[in-house]
Amino acid sequence: MKILQKMLDASIVTGALLGLGGVFLTYLGNPVNSGICVSCFVENIAGALQLHNDPRMSYIRPELIGFLLGSFLVAVKTGRFRVRGGSSSIIRFFVGFFIIVGCAVFIGCPIKMILRLAAGDLTAIAATLGLIFGVWLGVRYIKGGFVLDQPRELPRINGFVIPLLAIILLIFLLVDPVFIKTGQKGPAAWHAPVYVSLLVGLAIGVSAQRSGLCITGGLRNFLLAAEKTLLTGVLTAFLVALIAGSLLGQFSWGMNAQPASHLSHGWTFLAMTMVGLASILIDGCPFRQLIKAGEGDVDAGITTLGMLLGGGFTYAWTLRSTSAGPTFEGKIVVLAGLVFSLVIAMAFRKRIQEKKIPEGRELVRE
Amino acid sequence: MPIPLSRGRGRYSESIMDWLDRLSIGAIAGITLIAMGMLANQAIVKKDQGNAGIVAVDKKAAYALRMDQDKKIYHEVVSLKDRGLYAEAMAGLNDILKRYPENPLSYVYTAQLHLGQGNLGEGIHSYRRAVEMEPDYVDDRTPLFIGDQIRELVTEGREKFGREKKLKPKDREVRKILKDIYYLQSRLAGGCE
Repeated sequence: MKILQKMLDASIVTGALLGLGGVFLTYLGNPVNSGICVSCFVENIAGALQLHNDPRMSYIRPELIGFLLGSFLVAVKTGRFRVRGGSSSIIRFFVGFFIIVGCAVFIGCPIKMILRLAAGDLTAIAATLGLIFGVWLGVRYIKGGFVLDQPRELPRINGFVIPLLAIILLIFLLVDPVFIKTGQKGPAAWHAPVYVSLLVGLAIGVSAQRSGLCITGGLRNFLLAAEKTLLTGVLTAFLVALIAGSLLGQFSWGMNAQPASHLSHGWTFLAMTMVGLASILIDGCPFRQLIKAGEGDVDAGITTLGMLLGGGFTYAWTLRSTSAGPTFEGKIVVLAGLVFSLVIAMAFRKRIQEKKIPEGRELVRE
Repeated sequence: MPIPLSRGRGRYSESIMDWLDRLSIGAIAGITLIAMGMLANQAIVKKDQGNAGIVAVDKKAAYALRMDQDKKIYHEVVSLKDRGLYAEAMAGLNDILKRYPENPLSYVYTAQLHLGQGNLGEGIHSYRRAVEMEPDYVDDRTPLFIGDQIRELVTEGREKFGREKKLKPKDREVRKILKDIYYLQSRLAGGCE
């Protein structure tokens, strides 16, 4: 039992589950290179809820429900369900919005970036460099005194709202009421069996809650303090996806002919820079936000709602890139997101001021 | 030790369930049951009107209707094309494009006419426009799928224009065609798009 608990706590296990899950779900029917993609799946759910009207991208993805509920169940069971919030919620909401738009311009969240890279998609290199640069920027701001206001304990009921929404989504998926749109063609029609997707999602959710794995968090910890625990999980996800994908014939090396990718590397770099920086500001990539929302973090729940709105707008405003490249609107929102993130990073900095005191000079945080 | 409830004196305890709590729980349970019943009923209505089988039939019928209409619209063009009268067919297509600018099939036929005249680059470009307008052309789950012919063309075009790029690396036209080829390759590869 203790061994199992230790395994669950290891980010390497979560990484392996993410890599394997991504490849396995593609093998069972999810879109190519999109076995797991938080941003694509959020866009799918937004479509199913009719926040946009592209039927090709409208389907309630059980994987995300699994992430949330897996995290929720294990947090409640192990006493880690700690309800907190109230830390610049409105800012987190819009950061969540911009993160999803940034991912849509690249066509994938940081997890999909890893899966694409592991599948031999060389266009994901620009995304990886952009994400690392964005996280590095965020780390510079952290070192320069950036810190969002601290969340506080909230009444317990607040923590149940987002898991309850996940349960309602699951009911919608199973019951299929009239107001839920389910696409019959395109990516919406490409999905693994519901129960398999849900189980994989639950397993990853449970493991991620225990290990705290986060793609941008792993990079941040390494750049900030040379701490490698989470980064090891990220690298494991890549390696496992690479091996499993190669075995299942999902590996295709090259820059061209890659599914759902484009060759506008500059915009890919900028979009993922924004995603990296914004994720550092709110302490977690889109995947981590879902896990935290499940374990009672109300702020992460609000970020998740911002992500959902972003998922709707990516289609309603044609912000999402296609194989032809990013749209004008997408580029503008990436730039707006970068400006927004930089303003937030500056506004929350506690600057170091030099104050003279009788004994000599000392650095004091403002 | 919980403080006992004392009505009217402003004292209360969270640990004791009073009549208001019991009433609230009853109301919550009742409303939830009603809502679930309504939802279930709604779901049954959807099932009656459009269960999976009916949806599939509707979809099939919609595609069949569309293909039938297209057959009528493009009958003349196809006939001219088959007889090798490409200029006349192209003129007919231009007329149709004016009348039905949203119909992506015009670009498929434009592509075929260009290819018939040996113009590979223009053919590829027209296929790209067709796929941009109608993603079903590269979705093998729909009856509109023409991915195999596009794939063949893309392979041929990649070899030809790849060689040309080596000979004329700065030729804009060649680069534009290669971009079209990469676009079509990416769409044929599938993914979340």
